[in-house]
Amino acid sequence: MTGFLRNNRTILLTLVFLLGMIAFTFQGLEPKVGMSILLSGITLAALFFLIASGLSLIFGLMDVLNFAHGVIFVLGAFVGLSTLMNPRLLFNTLPFFLSAAGGVAIARHLGTPLWQRVNTERGRKILWWSLLVLAFALLAFGLRRFPIRTLNAFSITTVGGAVPTALAQEPLGLMIQRVAFLFLAGLPFGLAVAPRELRQENRRAALWKSIAITLGLLVSAFAILLLRDPGEQFILGLSVDWRFLLALTAGTLAGMLAGAGIEIVLIRPFYGNPVTQLVLTLGLMIAGTDLIEAVWGEESHPPMEPPSWFNGACRSDSLIAWFSEHCRSIDVLGRAFPTYRLFIIFVGIAIFIGVGILLKRTRLGMIIRAGVQDSEMVQALGINVRQVFTLVFALGSGLAALGGVIAAPFLGVFSGMGQIFILQAFIAVVIGGMGSYTGAAIGTLILGLARAYGDHFVAAGIDLPFLANTIKGSPAIARASTVLIMAIVLLVRPAGIFGKKE
Amino acid sequence: MQVSLSRRWQKIFSGRGAQGWVYLAVFALLALFPLIAGLTIGNPQAASEGAGFFEGLLQRAESGYAKFWQGMLIQMLILSIFAMSYDILLGYTGILSFGHAMFFGTGGYAIAILIGQHFNWPFFQALGAVVVIAVLQSLIFGILSLRVKGVYLTMVTLAFAEMFFILAEAGDFRQYTGADDGLHGFPVPAYLSATEHRTRFYYLALILFVLVFLAARRLINSPTGRVMIATRDNENRAMMIGFNTFWYKLIAFVAAGVFAALAGALSALFNVSVTPATLTTFRTIDALAMTIIGGVGTLIGPILGAGIIQLLGYWLERWFGANWTLIYGIIFMLIVVFLPYGIVGTLRRRSFGWKAGWARWKQLLTGKAAPG
Repeated sequence: MTGFLRNNRTILLTLVFLLGMIAFTFQGLEPKVGMSILLSGITLAALFFLIASGLSLIFGLMDVLNFAHGVIFVLGAFVGLSTLMNPRLLFNTLPFFLSAAGGVAIARHLGTPLWQRVNTERGRKILWWSLLVLAFALLAFGLRRFPIRTLNAFSITTVGGAVPTALAQEPLGLMIQRVAFLFLAGLPFGLAVAPRELRQENRRAALWKSIAITLGLLVSAFAILLLRDPGEQFILGLSVDWRFLLALTAGTLAGMLAGAGIEIVLIRPFYGNPVTQLVLTLGLMIAGTDLIEAVWGEESHPPMEPPSWFNGACRSDSLIAWFSEHCRSIDVLGRAFPTYRLFIIFVGIAIFIGVGILLKRTRLGMIIRAGVQDSEMVQALGINVRQVFTLVFALGSGLAALGGVIAAPFLGVFSGMGQIFILQAFIAVVIGGMGSYTGAAIGTLILGLARAYGDHFVAAGIDLPFLANTIKGSPAIARASTVLIMAIVLLVRPAGIFGKKE
Repeated sequence: MQVSLSRRWQKIFSGRGAQGWVYLAVFALLALFPLIAGLTIGNPQAASEGAGFFEGLLQRAESGYAKFWQGMLIQMLILSIFAMSYDILLGYTGILSFGHAMFFGTGGYAIAILIGQHFNWPFFQALGAVVVIAVLQSLIFGILSLRVKGVYLTMVTLAFAEMFFILAEAGDFRQYTGADDGLHGFPVPAYLSATEHRTRFYYLALILFVLVFLAARRLINSPTGRVMIATRDNENRAMMIGFNTFWYKLIAFVAAGVFAALAGALSALFNVSVTPATLTTFRTIDALAMTIIGGVGTLIGPILGAGIIQLLGYWLERWFGANWTLIYGIIFMLIVVFLPYGIVGTLRRRSFGWKAGWARWKQLLTGKAAPG
């Protein structure tokens, strides 16, 4: 018992402190007001946590301060919105990625003998450049005049997302041509990035594997292309619940893929050079926001339609009643509270527990925790740490993208939403201690509660003992107050609440 | 006599010998720029009848493209001051601050508020107050944020700057800060109006720029500056030798803060407006980008970077319209990958980063582990 208390001293003290603060603030409030502020705070905290946990994991393992994390959040929200309202964009762009990946997969395998024929440094250089130029030329040729903006023009105008059939789709023949060109573009790129030496592995089996992967990718690319009209109608014909699930999956997957891509192309070549990595993620933040605006437009979209479970036009009396009624709001001590926010809280807690189990109970989690402590040592023990890095980057980005989709029915979707959240997530991570998973959770909890209470007290006014008038302010003051909390925490503990001491 | 004078100039400008003449030539070119611009791209009709050659030239410099390009150069000079101040932190002391816009914006707001309707201070008194405010601000936030190190410091400074941004945007102080509209049209002294006397303002900016350059150079080449560099290279060793590195970092923080505040004040005077945008992280990122593109740990680098970014922003916006930052971000990333030491840094090393940049990517794509 004493051992448990001693080992978990920090977290227990923090929790006691938090509970004390909550109890203290409850004193001056009606219970129903206090409760709804508390729940709002936890909702915010859950959203912050989805971003902050990824940031914290990535920083802990790789020492990368990922400024592009907010862009991933926005990407998730937009991909989710597209899936829910108008999957046309996904149906028309997914085959491109698949067929290009297929080309790379097969050519990467066939390229090695080619590179072995070319022995001179100069010859290799020429080959490399010409392959690259060829790849980009084919890519540009395949994608010329691709009307990306018209593909999602409808999702803005039609509420509920019913897209008129066969309107303004590009002809199928042209699309097949484009997909073929992307496959062709993938070939020289795959040749260019092929391994220079033969590896010690079963060549024939590897070849069949590559062929199978390529065929699978190509078949799925063409299948998606052929099924784009019925598929679109099918998805839009689904109930909003299924579409929401699809949106969650698609958004998270998009985030994971983007994260893995960022890690492989921009972060991996620069380990041991944190400033360069940081600056690169900054560049990505600048370019990524604009890229999203280029694809999805600069308009801000109204909150996405939540699943029907959270959309009934009524008010449930209790959680149990809600299970049968599916009301939009629920009665909390006599005050209505949106049930969708309870769902956000639920997702936040589920992810916290799920990732926590992953970290504590699985082999991968063990490697990650060991890597946070000393990644060189883990590498020396014969574990491919780079792969784990990519995985964790993808995982963290996937969480952020999931957060984006979850936040979309609550906040709406706009390209600037990432920047609002990323700063708060950074502050939360710093409060909790960078690299600490529990710290990220506690930090976001503190921050979410501070924001909610701050908003309330700033609007309602604070009675200070020595002043006659109540002090009132704007919500901006509450926003600034989170910084104050961070400053205080860092003055007491320079490495955050759960941070490692230097 | 002649020789000793030139030696002295060399010592002031470079401390490294022959390069001094290059600096002098560049400064001379900058000093002559309004006249050259007036002669080449100014509107010939702008010169009044009966004006002498020199007078006519000055009048031509106040017209057409000559005026516009002087404006561009003024902004470059202001940004150069800002970027140099940032490099004192990043390049010479090794402090990666993300809150440098805090000083820039506060400088702008301070002068705008002090000469504005509420205080009506005389101009030079207000300018002095800007310096005092900057010193106090950088002392307070320097002492607070230098308690932590590394990434924590980055995040703490970022958050402090965000706090100032939020406060500037808040409706509570609307009568002073103008909330999210910012302050516009405050009474800049008539003799300093950038619209009326562009050339005069240009020389003011140039003089301030040269002064800041010399001061920064003096600071860096002083024993204090050497300790700063030692702190950057290996803080533990510097502490072991017996320096309390905290004070040296604080000195760097204050110097950088004051220079940035001056740049901010100048920018406010030039535009006759300050907005909360001057306090955003993007302003800091601008300084960071200029420093990195030009070359971290050099004073010429940030100046070059400021010029490049100002021009790049101007041209990209003309060519690509509203989404120009997409191209800007990509170019920025390419520069970081291929010129890891920046332009000046790469030139000084006389080894271009092209090969290393490609090698890194090729190794990565071919699956071989990168060395190190």
